[in-house]
Amino acid sequence: MAANNSQPTGIDKEQAFGMAETEMEYRVELFNRLAQTCFNKCVDKRYKEAELNMGENSCIDRCVSKYWQF
Amino acid sequence: MASANPGTETTNESSSSNEPRIEPLRMPSMEEIRAQDIWNNCAVRSVASGVMGGGLGLFMGLFLGALENPIMQDEMTAKQQFIYTAKQMGRRSWGSAKAFAVMGLIFSAAECVVEKARAKHDMTNTVVAGCATGGAMSAKGGPKAACAGCAGFAAFSVLIEKFLDRHS
Repeated sequence: MAANNSQPTGIDKEQAFGMAETEMEYRVELFNRLAQTCFNKCVDKRYKEAELNMGENSCIDRCVSKYWQF
Repeated sequence: MASANPGTETTNESSSSNEPRIEPLRMPSMEEIRAQDIWNNCAVRSVASGVMGGGLGLFMGLFLGALENPIMQDEMTAKQQFIYTAKQMGRRSWGSAKAFAVMGLIFSAAECVVEKARAKHDMTNTVVAGCATGGAMSAKGGPKAACAGCAGFAAFSVLIEKFLDRHS
């Protein structure tokens, strides 16, 4: 049962890049959906000022902690 | 929104001089985030409101104290009247500064706590905070006075909030 050198037990560079790219796409998609969902839930559509007020801030904190999967 | 290809500059160079350029997103720096976090803290906010209320009360007390006339006006000389008026101004301004500072502190603290708990920016926060402030200030007169103070101050703060919202 000698280890075959042409097929290493670890993953090679190509596969690693592919997996990293898929992971990156997944993360970007997750972030986009998170931003859109929490914005639609938390921010009132009639903009009265540019800054996020305190209620919106705490709403966004809660929304992100529910949505985000580390 | 994040994208895999950052940068939203238009590639058409000739039209970039006519149309306004779309600026790329600018994320807040660490100092801005820390400043926002400090200002979002309820204790910091209520103390700042208390200090502002104290300043306001100081000026109001000075103004109202200056209007008061001494009782024995005929017997005093001008200098004595001046000293009396100055003392009255100081006393009045200190008393009203304390009252306004307490009012601002309680109102800001109540509004901050309620808004953080509800996670909404509403008029309900103002009503609850006004009721708490009015009730706390009139609590010495008994429960009926506290209820009346609560309702009165809540209505007053709602009016002020509506007035401020119309102009912003």
